[in-house]
Amino acid sequence: MFRHSRWLFAAILILALPTLASCTKKTESETMTPATAVAVTGIDTGRSIGSDYRVTEKMDTFTPKDVIYATVITSGASPSAILKATWTFQDGQVVDTTERTIAPTGETATEFHIAKPDGFPVGKYTLDVYLDGNKVQTKTIEVKAS
Amino acid sequence: MGIFGNPEEKKKNPKADFSNVQSGSSSTAPSPAASATAATYVVKQGDSLSLIAKEKYGNANKWPKIYEANKDLIKDPNLIYPGQTLKIPTL
Repeated sequence: MFRHSRWLFAAILILALPTLASCTKKTESETMTPATAVAVTGIDTGRSIGSDYRVTEKMDTFTPKDVIYATVITSGASPSAILKATWTFQDGQVVDTTERTIAPTGETATEFHIAKPDGFPVGKYTLDVYLDGNKVQTKTIEVKAS
Repeated sequence: MGIFGNPEEKKKNPKADFSNVQSGSSSTAPSPAASATAATYVVKQGDSLSLIAKEKYGNANKWPKIYEANKDLIKDPNLIYPGQTLKIPTL
């Protein structure tokens, strides 16, 4: 009797496993959908932005007293996506990190800016843009003596 | 030149100071509903929980609220580190 029960239990387990696995897989893909819906399609840098938060004149070279703007263009929709901009100096020092949570419903422009009242040191800077914790784009700019 | 580099060279090229960098952000995208997503704050050099509480709530004594919401990140409320992203709960 017990032996039969054991065999019956094993058979049920074998039949149930693929069903359970497919349930897990479905849940995983469902939770990932919103994160992949938004994508960073471009980064522009410049000295000024318009009312649409887009850079008015794209440039990669700045003077020390400039306000440096970077506009990140995204496509897609999500109830919540986290954009992060990290600026790093050529020697590896992190100049600034700014994070913004957005709920895009289509193409959007998000600007990040940095300024240094006494002037940025001359050299190269790297801007890394993260979307939901994943680095998605990198851009290098240069500050030259005015 | 020793293993610690040339001291003369270091004098000529001191490490740049970025502590007074001002930054900000704006977006054409709406922010998620306040109730759906808690606000966040990225710790900067010189910050403490009470300073952040004063900035965000206008009251430094409310720092335990931030500590409670970030216990997974903060082991010691006297030790927070630049670059940490803290959740700022609504009061």
